[in-house]
Amino acid sequence: MAKPQFVYVTYIRSTPEKVWAALTDPQTVRKFWFGMNVACDFKPGSPWSLSFEDGRVADIGEILEAEPPRRLVIRWRNEFRPELKAEGYSRCTMSIELAEYYPGMGGKAVKLTIQHELEGEGGKLIEAVSGGWPKVLSNLKSYLETGDVAFKE
Amino acid sequence: MSKPVFVYVIYIAASPERVWEALTKADVSERFWFGYRVTADGKPGTRMTAIDPAGRQVHDDPIIESDPPRKLVYGWKSLYKDLPDERASRVTFLLEPLKDQTRLTVTHDDFDEGSRMFEMISKGWPAVLSSLKSFLETGRGLAATWGEEERRRAVES
Repeated sequence: MAKPQFVYVTYIRSTPEKVWAALTDPQTVRKFWFGMNVACDFKPGSPWSLSFEDGRVADIGEILEAEPPRRLVIRWRNEFRPELKAEGYSRCTMSIELAEYYPGMGGKAVKLTIQHELEGEGGKLIEAVSGGWPKVLSNLKSYLETGDVAFKE
Repeated sequence: MSKPVFVYVIYIAASPERVWEALTKADVSERFWFGYRVTADGKPGTRMTAIDPAGRQVHDDPIIESDPPRKLVYGWKSLYKDLPDERASRVTFLLEPLKDQTRLTVTHDDFDEGSRMFEMISKGWPAVLSSLKSFLETGRGLAATWGEEERRRAVES
C-alpha cells in the first residue's frame, strides 16, 4: 500500500523567484501563514521550525534539499499535538516551476506543487495537513497576486 | 484498488453568490475557464452545457442537484472525440460562506477503476480553480493562449 500522502497544486500569477522568496522569508510567511513564525536559513542540513505567535513550537525538522527557486524538501514533525507527534517524521516537498496549465493550453503561471508524505505508518498528520495546506496556499496565492490574503479566521 | 475520487479545496475572497455566478453563467465562465462558456444555472433535470473557444459543444450533462449558492451537482462526460470514451462521472461543488469569503470544495467522482479521464481532470481542476480564484480576486483569470489559437484554426478551416 502507498504511504499516506497529500498533494496539492496551485497556479500563481507570479515568478518562481517571488514564490521562493515568499516561502522562505519569515515576515512574508507570517502574513499568509496565520502569523506563524518560521525559523530557518533554508540551507541543506539546517534546522527548520514553525512557531505560533505566542512562541509555542508547532513543527520542527530540517532542510533536506534546497534549490532556489525550484525545490525545497523539509523533514517535518509535528510538535504540539501528541497524537501527530507520535506518527513521527513526514517529508514535505515543494516544487516551483513556470508551467502550462494543461498540455497545449498555452498560458503559463507558476505551478506550485506541495507533496506531503509520512515516512512511516499512520494517517492523522496527513489528515491534519490536508486541512491546513489549502488555507495556507490559497492565502499565499492571494498575497502574491493582490497583496492581501483570502482566508481570515 | 478503489475507485478514484478527486477532491480540491480552495479559499476565495469573494461571496458564494459571486462564486456561484462564475460557475454557472457562460458570460462569466469564459473569462477565467480558459475561454469555455459553461452554463449550469438551471434547475435539476435541466442541462449543464459547455462550449469550447472554437465554438464546439463539449458538454451536455444533466444537472443533478442545484441549491444556489450552496451546492451544485452535475454529470460529467466530455464530448471531445479524441478523449477516452468513458461513461459519465459526477462533479459536486460545495460553497461554504466564511465571513465575506467562500470555501469551495470540488469533488469529482463516480469514475471506474483505472479511469484515464480521472488522470486528466486531476490536472485540469487545479488550473481552472486557480484561475477562478484569480479572476474573482483580481478581475483577471490566468491567461491561456489556447482559446485564441483554437478560434483562429476554426475560422481558417
